[in-house]
Amino acid sequence: MKQVLLIAAGEWRYWLRSQLALGGALIFLVLIVATSLLNNLRMEAEKQTRTRQQTEAEETFLSQPDRHPHRMVHYGHYLFRAPAPLALLDPGIDAVTGQAIFLEGHRQNTVMFAESAASADFGGLSWLSPALIYQLFAPLVIILLGHGSVVRERETAMLAPLLAMGISGRTLIAGKALALLSFAVCLLLPLVAGGAMALAGGETLIALLSLFGAYCVYLALWVALTLLASTTFKKHSTVLAVTTALWFGFSLVLPAVAVDLASNSEPVAGKIETDLAMLADSRKVGDGHNANDPALQQLRADLLEKHSVERIEDLPVNFRGIVAMEAEQKLTKVLNDYAASRMAAERRQEKRLIDYGWLTPVLAVAFLSRSIAGTDLAHYHRFQRAAEAVRFAFVQGLNRVHVEKLSYQDDINRNKNEAAWQRARVDASNWQVLDTFQFRTAGISQRIQHASSSIRILLAWLTVMFGILFWCGGKIKP
Amino acid sequence: MKLQADSLHIMRSGQEVLSGISFSVDSGEIYALLGGNGAGKSTTLLSFLGFLPPSSGRVCVNGNDVESDIALARKVIAYLPESVSLYGHLNAYENIDYLLQLSGVSASGEKINTALDQVSLMPAARQRKLRDYSKGMRQRVAIALAILRDTDILLLDEPSSGLDPGAIDEFHQIVRNLADNGKAILMVTHDVYGACQVADKIGLLHNGKLVGEYAATEQAHIDTETVHKAFSSTADSPAHALSA
Amino acid sequence: MADSDVWNIVLVWRQDKTMSAFNALIREAKFTARDRTVGFWMAVVLGLSSMSVGFGLIEVERQNTTIQNLIHADQQDRSGGFEKFEDWGSAAYYSFHLTYDPPSDFAYAAMGQRDAQPWKHRIRMLALEGQIYERDAGNPSMAQIGRFDFAFFAAFIIPLVLIMLLYDLRTSELGAGRHDLLEAATGQPFCFWLLRACLRAGGLFLCLIAPLIIAGIIAGTTASKLALASLWIFAYTALWTLLCFSISAWRKPGAVILMTLITIWISAAVILPAAGRLAIDKLVPVPSGADILMLQRETVNDAWDLPRQATMDAFFSRHPEWSDYEPVKSAFEWPWYYAFQHVGDQQAEHLSTAYRDGRLQRARIAALLSLLAPPSLLERSLQSLANTDLHSSIRYEAGVRTYHAALRAYYYPKFFRNAPFDKSLLKNLPKFEPGQ
Repeated sequence: MKQVLLIAAGEWRYWLRSQLALGGALIFLVLIVATSLLNNLRMEAEKQTRTRQQTEAEETFLSQPDRHPHRMVHYGHYLFRAPAPLALLDPGIDAVTGQAIFLEGHRQNTVMFAESAASADFGGLSWLSPALIYQLFAPLVIILLGHGSVVRERETAMLAPLLAMGISGRTLIAGKALALLSFAVCLLLPLVAGGAMALAGGETLIALLSLFGAYCVYLALWVALTLLASTTFKKHSTVLAVTTALWFGFSLVLPAVAVDLASNSEPVAGKIETDLAMLADSRKVGDGHNANDPALQQLRADLLEKHSVERIEDLPVNFRGIVAMEAEQKLTKVLNDYAASRMAAERRQEKRLIDYGWLTPVLAVAFLSRSIAGTDLAHYHRFQRAAEAVRFAFVQGLNRVHVEKLSYQDDINRNKNEAAWQRARVDASNWQVLDTFQFRTAGISQRIQHASSSIRILLAWLTVMFGILFWCGGKIKP
Repeated sequence: MKLQADSLHIMRSGQEVLSGISFSVDSGEIYALLGGNGAGKSTTLLSFLGFLPPSSGRVCVNGNDVESDIALARKVIAYLPESVSLYGHLNAYENIDYLLQLSGVSASGEKINTALDQVSLMPAARQRKLRDYSKGMRQRVAIALAILRDTDILLLDEPSSGLDPGAIDEFHQIVRNLADNGKAILMVTHDVYGACQVADKIGLLHNGKLVGEYAATEQAHIDTETVHKAFSSTADSPAHALSA
Repeated sequence: MADSDVWNIVLVWRQDKTMSAFNALIREAKFTARDRTVGFWMAVVLGLSSMSVGFGLIEVERQNTTIQNLIHADQQDRSGGFEKFEDWGSAAYYSFHLTYDPPSDFAYAAMGQRDAQPWKHRIRMLALEGQIYERDAGNPSMAQIGRFDFAFFAAFIIPLVLIMLLYDLRTSELGAGRHDLLEAATGQPFCFWLLRACLRAGGLFLCLIAPLIIAGIIAGTTASKLALASLWIFAYTALWTLLCFSISAWRKPGAVILMTLITIWISAAVILPAAGRLAIDKLVPVPSGADILMLQRETVNDAWDLPRQATMDAFFSRHPEWSDYEPVKSAFEWPWYYAFQHVGDQQAEHLSTAYRDGRLQRARIAALLSLLAPPSLLERSLQSLANTDLHSSIRYEAGVRTYHAALRAYYYPKFFRNAPFDKSLLKNLPKFEPGQ
């Protein structure tokens, strides 16, 4: 053990005296600190803007004058999604998903205005975030520092004397690995600092530790890979070439190839195509504006029977409101079915993509990281479901007001004249059916559970890599 | 016997590199293994360190079979490879300190200085990084390390290659002193003159066979033709040249 | 490279110093072809290039199929729907109209903005601002990573392969102790190294471009587009070759050269674009999309509570030709309904224009800035050739607006002249023609 520590310390001393290592580490440090700061500022601004927009939207809704309740159903409401606390480290898919949604009766709108749609276009790599830097560039620094660790001893003919001094190959590799791992932890310090800010933003410590752990495992994997190459090849130029080629294969080529493979093997139908089918299905439900819609005749008969009256005018409730409520209920079921099947299709496609993590750990860590950060597809869906819940609640709340607080006579006569128009409205206090909304990420255990397959993949990579390294260490020859 | 090879056979990548050589080195003795490229000199050294297991025969260190306890053998051996470079980014003290600690020995700065005095490394050079050292100076540091490790046995691989004649003489003096202090020293070399100068015993290795062994007193009688043959014919055998 | 190869070169060189450049080329070409590392990278590039255009062709095919299916479904929807209409207003209200932007003949090489911006809409006669930003985007999980299209491969991966091929052009020979020998033998070392570098880069260029051309023939791409694309890719490859060549001439360890080149790549491919994007987004403010939508909806909603005349006046100010319209005395009138829909668009127009102009302005500055970031420059150039850049998507947006205007021009005379409803006239509805 003492030897392992000595070797690790010796490696650190080598780096501290190597301009290449220092230069690489310094560039990385500047990059990660600058990105973290910029991202932090941006996220803070986003959070404030969206929280303000949300408050404004709620105030505007509540301050609407007395009206016919169905007018408010169509007036609608906006929801804004404030970034998750850990988004300042990993914004995940937030840039390509919309952050605002308009809610109204009888419709489920899409989440609109993704930042990427309006931003200056420089391609995918320009969406630099601390997470992307850790996923893409931290491995490069590890390669830079680690590629020579064993092959340098070999090339300077120090390997034989070291082994001859009774240091086993495994001890040597363990020492080098310890040095590189401790360096990797140093690389992650800015992540911890960023995490502390997320902590202040309401994130749990467990989430932060999980994120830290995920990147530790990921970087450890690159440590093993680098050491493995350094042990296997006899020339350090070969080691460098192989590891660099693996780096851009893993981080740039394979993820993009996986996207194409997944989109071909598990295609998701476009929204317009599914909307066509959905429209046909929703027409069967009946038009909630039309109390005479044939699809709603059964409802009318049942109601009349229930209240033992002959005419809908004699019902104690507003039949038009009942119709609106019933139609909304049925329509929402259709809409939800379609939404659920679209989300399921997207999840299946994503699952396929996650499985390609077996080919490249970069994909696995990307999914794990954004799952923990709460900026993944699951949270995008979560926002859509939350938005739908808000929509359904306030629309049905307004419909209930329509049923209970507006008389049927006033309602059907509303277009007779100005006075009738004025009568067919309810008090603005009824708009309080709208709940305030704040998007929250899922609990950390749920997030981690959701990322379980990525975790499995990363751990499998780690085990296999260190297993091979351990095996190679035993066979090391000068 | 400190070092002993007993009808040692070694295969490397399907080729027999050593075909049954036997010799021994005792305390206080310098044994020079002489031969051309590919004769199997370095292979012999590495087999004492347990890097190359014998296909038949055996190698013993301190009377113990190396194969049975490699770690035990390595504990008592100091090994200097041909192109000894040590760590270029460290100075002499740092190199010695680091490597000593790795081998589980600790030494004060005073002891290190004494050892460096013993190998006559100029005090002015001791604080400089080793990447600025000549080969001779690096070799002295390596010897100082061996002295401090206080091992019984010293294995030297081509110690005189790349040194100027003056440096060779000084180096031989250091080695002689070590032997006189009771170390067993095995060096492999293709420097016939140097070997004759310093060695107590010379083994002539040719194509993996020991073709002659001469004590210091007999050295005058070394048949130049045998030596010449030993060095020239190996060049005709590229397979051996590659596997060296 | 075996030492015997070197000796061959040296000997041949010595024998005939006046040998033609052509012979030198052939000899070096043979030499390069024997290099297994070079061969490996050529195979990788050929494979990945084929894969990228293959994916591109499949995607273009899929998009075309989608468009065909939509056109078919749209026609069915229309022919079935006409029956139940009783007036012009409800005919306009319930009819959807398909608009689309088919992929170009070069889209297989660069999907560009087609993954982020809409290229198909089903629009109605209602306020357009509420519809035109609807995104039919795919899975965001996939969009975040981006496709492996040819443009990405050529612009971002190829420089890295070139770096791998060329960084140790000299250091490997130095390490093997052959460098000085070779330089001494050639007499003109600069030309020798340059020839070797150009051969490697040239081989790589051919492996890169061959699948593109073949795919172009399959897709029926116009020759001029292919030629232009090849020219740009050639210039781009040459640029990186020269860069790698000059940096690899440093008398520095291979690791330093490699890391220097990779740092240059990171700066050009990641840092500069990222910083540029942040700066441009800051410098050129674009109204929030949500604001456009909110303003438009507020206007439309408020119209229900306003005196009808206020809405009509606002409408007539932009459409004086209908100002002699005689409102029908009824609870609800369609002309008024469509008028306030359009007034909603009118109110949001300044924001919408600012949104479009802002995006264009950002794109213009980005184009300038990408002169400093060659990977972005090449990617953008290929995207503009493929009509998949922001300009194309804004052209499509403009096409949709024009079409919406044509729909209004069709319906307005019916509304404001109180024309009697005639189903047969619906056949004359304007058809959307995808713009060129």
